Amino acid sequence: MYSSIKTLNILLPLLYSLTFLVYLYDFVKERNKWSNSKRIFLFVTLIFHTFYLMARTIDFNHPPITNVFEIFTVLAFAISCSYFILELLTDIRGTGLFIIVFSLIFQLISSFFIQDLTAVREVLRNRMLGLHVVSALLGYSGITISAVYGLLFWILYKEIKLNRFGLIFERLPSLEKLEQLSYYSVVIGFVLLTIAIIIGAVWLPSAFPNFNYFDPKLVATAFVWILYGVGILSKTVGGWRGKKVIVFSIAGFCLAIFSILLTNFLAKSFHSFY
Amino acid sequence: MNLLAVSINHRTAPVELRESLHLSTEEIKSFLKELKGNLFSEGFIISTCNRTEIYGFPINPRTNFKDLQKFLMEMKPVGDIRPDNFQNYFSCGAVNHLFRVSAGIDSLLLGDNQILGQVKESFQISEEFDFAGFLMKRIFDSAIKVGKRAKTETIISDGAITVSYAAVQLIEKIFSSLSRKSALVIGTGETGEIAAKHLRDKGIGTLSLTNRTMEKAEKLASAIHANAIPFSSFRECLHDYDIIISATSAPDLILTYDDVRASMKKRNGAPTIMMDIAIPRDIDPSIRELDSVFYHDIDSLKIIVDQNVKKRQGELPKVQSIIMEELVNLFGWYNSLEVTPTIRALRQVFEDIRLEEVDKIKNKLNPEDVEKLEMVTKRIINKLLHQPTVELKRISENGVNTQESAMKVNVIRSIFGLDHD
Repeated sequence: MYSSIKTLNILLPLLYSLTFLVYLYDFVKERNKWSNSKRIFLFVTLIFHTFYLMARTIDFNHPPITNVFEIFTVLAFAISCSYFILELLTDIRGTGLFIIVFSLIFQLISSFFIQDLTAVREVLRNRMLGLHVVSALLGYSGITISAVYGLLFWILYKEIKLNRFGLIFERLPSLEKLEQLSYYSVVIGFVLLTIAIIIGAVWLPSAFPNFNYFDPKLVATAFVWILYGVGILSKTVGGWRGKKVIVFSIAGFCLAIFSILLTNFLAKSFHSFY
Repeated sequence: MNLLAVSINHRTAPVELRESLHLSTEEIKSFLKELKGNLFSEGFIISTCNRTEIYGFPINPRTNFKDLQKFLMEMKPVGDIRPDNFQNYFSCGAVNHLFRVSAGIDSLLLGDNQILGQVKESFQISEEFDFAGFLMKRIFDSAIKVGKRAKTETIISDGAITVSYAAVQLIEKIFSSLSRKSALVIGTGETGEIAAKHLRDKGIGTLSLTNRTMEKAEKLASAIHANAIPFSSFRECLHDYDIIISATSAPDLILTYDDVRASMKKRNGAPTIMMDIAIPRDIDPSIRELDSVFYHDIDSLKIIVDQNVKKRQGELPKVQSIIMEELVNLFGWYNSLEVTPTIRALRQVFEDIRLEEVDKIKNKLNPEDVEKLEMVTKRIINKLLHQPTVELKRISENGVNTQESAMKVNVIRSIFGLDHD
């Protein structure tokens, strides 16, 4: 089992690179033989990744959430898996490379720096924490995908406005579709983040003696959550559309990343394990 | 292959002449009736707004292009038609031209999508008239194959290459489905009418028309199931429309920056497409600075058209190589048809010589020697003909090197006098 984990740790970045290259080739080159089979590459990569995550959980006797580099590999998986489902549901195929590149980056960093910890704090073996982290990660992958679609919307918007009808114009789906994809993924991300926050709010106080509702990480997360909530409401209730909503999605994502970096590396929090 | 063809097309004749030579289905049928048995043993006619072409295998080997041109001019007498309005093709050239037509690379709009269907229709009419034998059917099949391969293996037909399709392509890059969108066409002249019909064909959800003369707008609106709104008040409901196309002949601006800005405020950021296809322009171009307003005029649509035309031109070598492949396949097959009779005729010539020579000496020999002589001479002939037969069969089985097989068959037929009775 251990040797499989080691092999997969090297293999996964290669698989993500290969999948990314196939998606890139398909994006650049019209009517090529990979057009229909590229999702098979992604599927195979995800199968190997599933096996890798399961093997790590069984072999090290804890879910792979105990350090930032384990989190990164789960995040890589969550992003690609969410995209794969989205591609199957919508059959929009021209955007894969922009999403898979995130999985590739996360997996590359993870594979380089990941450690094999068998002795971890007991709290990190807790099932509730597993649920909390998994839903939070899926939530973050949702808002990442939403931001990517938002960015693609922004690029295509600019291209059309400036009469530049190149590769981006030809290969990306319509602005309305990109807005929809961005919205759907942000709603899913928001729901999952909400679940993560509820689990955290219910379970954390009992698990941590030094729990504090005004912990910087919690405050930052709440702030991100409120921002996304307002963004979603402005679309559903306020009837906002187009660029306005997209600006919310991109701004929300930037803020989320900024708050994660800030609270993880600068602020002192009970919510730090590594 | 003695296929004969004449063509009048956009390269040889002005539009007036092409229009007057355009044949309806009924006319094609009556032409085929005349051609069948008189000039051609098999044939067909292609007639579109950009070309009229007649193809066929002549009954009389002396029939030439002039007879075909004369036939067309007699059947469809139009003034001012000259011999240089015709392009004439023979044999491989005729098939090559047909393949180019099927692939859409001989069309006025390079990579034209409709021509393949029109070619198919011409074939069907010919088949209905029992005017297509096995050879013509094989040519049909190859032509259709060329057309399909050009469309699936290259991008010769991709992208919009007319301004109106470029407008549709642009709209489809902004909105995913037109069925839930509303459009307003300002001006119901010829251009406005085409734009309105185009939107209706594309399944636009709500379509409104406005014109200075209300009656004109109402008339067109009732014809295409749209609603007409008064010209004096359309600015107040501008925000209700996702797509606005302006095509009036007004000398001044009809929509100002302030009109559009006021409408956009009410739209909550929902995008609006403003297509100004009027000359001079109807909409203030500075509205492109407004958020979520996609303003495009004829010039920006032409950018799309030019890019796509360039792309299609880049695909020409690929299409030409498809045509070449199919020409080689067709003529390989065709030449193989000539190989078997050549082998048979060659063996017959040798057998005749053998019999003749054996007969001369037969009476001077006893039956046993005659039998031996028969055996020996047959063996000699078989050995002599073994290599040529194997070579000819090889050509017919491969069926790819047209020139080589045609040359070999011709040399054999010529040096052994196989074509003389």
